[in-house]
Amino acid sequence: MTRCARLFACSALALALFLATAPRAAAAGPAPGTPPEMVAAYGSLADGILALKRAEASLVRSILAAAHGHAQAELGRAQKAIAAKDAAATRTALEALAGDVAQLATEGDAAVGAVRKRLIEGGHHHHADGEAQGLYDEGYVVVTRAAKQRLLDSSRALAQMAASPKAEALAAEWQKVEAVYAELAARQ
Amino acid sequence: MAAPGAQAGDPPGPAPRLQFVNVAPQAGLTRVLLAGRPEKDHLLDSAGAGAAFLDYDRDGRLDVFLPNGWRLEGARVAERGRHALYRGLPDGTFRDVTDEAGVSGDGQWGAGAFAADYDGDGWPDVLVTGFGPNRLYRNLGNGRFAENAREAGVDSPGWNTGAAFFDADGDGDLDLYVAAYIDCTLQDVLAARRALGWRGLEQVAMGPFGLEGAPDRFFRNQGGGRFVDASAEAGLQDKALAFGFAVRAADVDDDGDLDLYVANDSDPNYLYRNEGGGRFKEVGVWSGCALDENGAAQAGMGLAAGDATGDGRLDLLVTNFSEDFSTLYRGLGGGLFEDVSRGSGVGPATRRWLSWGAAMADLDNDGDLDLVVANGHIYPQVDRHPEVVGRYAQRNLLLENRGPGASPQFVDATAEAGPGFEELLSSRGLAVGDYDDDGDLDLLVTNLDAPPSLLRNESRGGAWLTVVCEGPRGEPGPVGTTVTVRAGGRTQQRDVAAGDSFLSTHDPRPHFGLGAAERVDEVDVRWPDGSHSLRKDVAARQFLRVRKGS
Repeated sequence: MTRCARLFACSALALALFLATAPRAAAAGPAPGTPPEMVAAYGSLADGILALKRAEASLVRSILAAAHGHAQAELGRAQKAIAAKDAAATRTALEALAGDVAQLATEGDAAVGAVRKRLIEGGHHHHADGEAQGLYDEGYVVVTRAAKQRLLDSSRALAQMAASPKAEALAAEWQKVEAVYAELAARQ
Repeated sequence: MAAPGAQAGDPPGPAPRLQFVNVAPQAGLTRVLLAGRPEKDHLLDSAGAGAAFLDYDRDGRLDVFLPNGWRLEGARVAERGRHALYRGLPDGTFRDVTDEAGVSGDGQWGAGAFAADYDGDGWPDVLVTGFGPNRLYRNLGNGRFAENAREAGVDSPGWNTGAAFFDADGDGDLDLYVAAYIDCTLQDVLAARRALGWRGLEQVAMGPFGLEGAPDRFFRNQGGGRFVDASAEAGLQDKALAFGFAVRAADVDDDGDLDLYVANDSDPNYLYRNEGGGRFKEVGVWSGCALDENGAAQAGMGLAAGDATGDGRLDLLVTNFSEDFSTLYRGLGGGLFEDVSRGSGVGPATRRWLSWGAAMADLDNDGDLDLVVANGHIYPQVDRHPEVVGRYAQRNLLLENRGPGASPQFVDATAEAGPGFEELLSSRGLAVGDYDDDGDLDLLVTNLDAPPSLLRNESRGGAWLTVVCEGPRGEPGPVGTTVTVRAGGRTQQRDVAAGDSFLSTHDPRPHFGLGAAERVDEVDVRWPDGSHSLRKDVAARQFLRVRKGS
């Protein structure tokens, strides 16, 4: 569904709710309580809104899991390439690994960034309070600012290893990544 | 004979160490840059335009191209500005040749000016980006240009900003990358109201957050003066729909082909690494030049590339918003970078300024690259709040390079740089070039709602060498040519680029400060096809012509 079509569908739902309840709401007499149909509709909507927010968190966790899974595969390739003293393959794997860790840091690639920007533009902040406290970057859902910084540091360190790769250094850096990832997973 | 810039009444005696004087009025550079409404209700009102140094008539002297915008009154278009082409004259002044050259823009709201010989006929052409379709002025070689952006396939309507001509696929012709900023219509611009509550103090222009980014585009040169959009095929797709401003092509990983760096406003910057065969890979985040040292995206406006730190590797300077710092990314080799803004002195010196155009240039000819930054706020409303850091009109900034061993390496020398750096304007574009051919680099700066500044360099400097690279028929040296100079125990490198700074093009002739060295051990010109031209034991203080194949 296009962005326009989604907007149209939401607007149509709001209009339908209004039309369904407006005549009764406008009736004369003492001020009534909020009509139960409206409360029920709003309750249903709240369920949907909250479910969407949970779904957003789940989706971002899936994005992170995909990047993490890919990173594990690249880690294996890098380790094998280092053992085989294959400089070209080592570089390729380390750069791919660095890219995966960078995507962990930024909760996905640039295309995800575009989606996040759209949400911010629309006023949606998954962690509005956390952003105000400086714990999260704008629009981030799972990765805290501190975790982002540590993952970015690791991604750069992994990329720099390509110049003089060492298995022990790679293992140590990957341990740092795993530690951050485990902390993020534990925050569910 | 006196240098073209010298005045009869100049007092004798040694020149100050750093001295810049605005000579634009005397030189005839008077075209006012129209910039929307006075209150800057939309970001387009305050984005401004760049400038280009080029030699369009190949007479050996630098000419100047200045794009122009529009003046708005409320929701009404009051005046459509005219671009300006100024021909450099032997006496150091310029003559307005806009009409005879046919480059007034025909009502285009212009932004960037990028000069390069895209059709390979030996004459520099000019791309003018802007709000609406781009203009591509093909140089006919007789003092006139023909506009053919649509025929060439690069008109690309939208709000186009920075651009770079470069040979992306190594096939010998120039391809083109054009950054775009916000997806909006003229109706949006005209109807804009200052709706963003800024720090609870003022209502100011909205954006860029809250507005939709427009996609950058990459155009592959098909030959015959035709380009085709190959963004996706080349791996140069603007996936983040980032708010793109400045573009620079340079060989950041030193592997012999041109990579591409894009400074984005409020989004991570892009580094597209050239993978060969016309394919690119975006590697900005993990290579260390997309974010600042805190992992935050900044308000990338302009950029500069060069070996500022003096370690033989390419560094990048990205200018940003005020109360943030402009970022110096030190090259680590292999296309990797680290943010050294704080320790280098660049961060502390730039924090109070809202910065745009930028250049790395050896302004005192001492053998290292100084940093110049053009400044100016986007909200005129800040002037009503003295408690806020920075005014709408700001001084430009000169950071002197004290050498690799110094700490900090860069110090703010603006206050000692003469009257040209005392001017208070809202500056945007910055192009560097030796317009008066006296061996030092002058600065051309564009200013909102004002004429440009031409800051003539009157500093007391060291020896110098300018290398004029020429093709086999004497045509201007191709974009992507690199020149390495070894002198006085130091090795320096420059490249020829078409697209730099903020929406600008610098002098295409690589310039080197040599300090006390009066001779150059070696000049090595590496042409884009990988061939070299070498010169040994060259005298300093000259324009050295090096022709390809010689």
